[in-house]
Amino acid sequence: MKELEKVKNISIASTLFILAVIIGLLTYKRPKNTFALNTKTALEKITSDSFFVPLVNVNNQNYKLIDVRSSYEFDKGHLDTAINISTPEILKEANLEIFKSLKKAGKTVVLYGNNPEEVNTTLLILYQLGYNNVKLLKAEISYLQNRLITKNSDIEKSEKDIAEFIKESTKNADSSSVIQIVTPPKKVITVKQKKKKTAEGGC
Amino acid sequence: MTKKQTAKFLNFRYKILALILVVLAGGLVLLPKYQKNEGIKPEQLLANTISLERYISTDQMAHKLISQDPSFILVDVRDENSYNSYTLPNAINIPLKKLLDDESKAYLNQNQFDVVFFSNDHYYADQAWILCNRLGFKNLRVLKGGLNHWFKTIINPPKPTEDMPEEAYSLYDTRKAASMFFGVVYPDQVQSNEVETPKIAPKKIITVKKKKKVAEGGC
Repeated sequence: MKELEKVKNISIASTLFILAVIIGLLTYKRPKNTFALNTKTALEKITSDSFFVPLVNVNNQNYKLIDVRSSYEFDKGHLDTAINISTPEILKEANLEIFKSLKKAGKTVVLYGNNPEEVNTTLLILYQLGYNNVKLLKAEISYLQNRLITKNSDIEKSEKDIAEFIKESTKNADSSSVIQIVTPPKKVITVKQKKKKTAEGGC
Repeated sequence: MTKKQTAKFLNFRYKILALILVVLAGGLVLLPKYQKNEGIKPEQLLANTISLERYISTDQMAHKLISQDPSFILVDVRDENSYNSYTLPNAINIPLKKLLDDESKAYLNQNQFDVVFFSNDHYYADQAWILCNRLGFKNLRVLKGGLNHWFKTIINPPKPTEDMPEEAYSLYDTRKAASMFFGVVYPDQVQSNEVETPKIAPKKIITVKKKKKVAEGGC
């Protein structure tokens, strides 16, 4: 009788154990996409690497053009040989497969959109996911009479020296009369630091 | 008697063993974190990126500066030289390379103020935004178009032509008044009267409390 009970307990325990393991494995979902870079290294790479591809190099055999605008805009007009993967859809499985295969093939992915600023964030997400072969086409796209026009675009170029412009404007004005300008009072802003808990000593 | 006791003991041991195994199996559900995967998930980051609510227009910014809204910090992510030659009133300079230094984080990772990034365009500002957003910092904004657009709309607003609607004129008047506030002088303004040379708004002093030294133990 005792022996029988023992066997019963063991079998119950083992089935419970197996069940728990199975449930654990079934509910365990590995996150589909994981970042390959942490933010510190990403920042280093962003500030040191160049992501830009000038418009003249667009026909390079090693480049694969990808249009990140919406499919509607893509249908209206796009660069030859480009395929369409709009920004909201870059993390879809099928699209990630495309990026993976392109990386494997050693091709450079060149993203473009209406302007480089629009593509910037898309590129950075892909880059942080580990696709270090993505680049950005330095071009702006516009339409003239339904024809697609590409234009080279300068990124982050200061267009005008604003300080100089303001100085110039005061010079142009009559120097004898002077202008009253309200200056905002000095503000002192203190940022509270989050307190870090520190181990406190004691006896 | 001894047989009975051993059987009882064995019985007890199996129970404990089973219990340990069940607990261990339960532990499988809790997963180890991925070291490189700090911050929010890629899907979440993408969703934040697509939403354009991070952008603040130059008109809104001018309005905030003129009304002396105290709720935000302007962060210039360009290099030091450009910062010294011109920047927005009361902006602080955090070059992109120093974005994640501990010193900068005191400004970026807090709940008191909105943080508004800007650069010449919004390209670098967006880069700063995406990294900080991934780390889960709150209240981050980007000045749309950056300083180039600031110049085009606020400092040197285009005069509306006659075929434009009335709104264009009122917008121009507002922008012109704003540009005067930021130091631009118009010839027609001078003829009326007025005194003093224009000054660029004084820099805001932002003090950050230094970290307290670790409390030292003792008796």
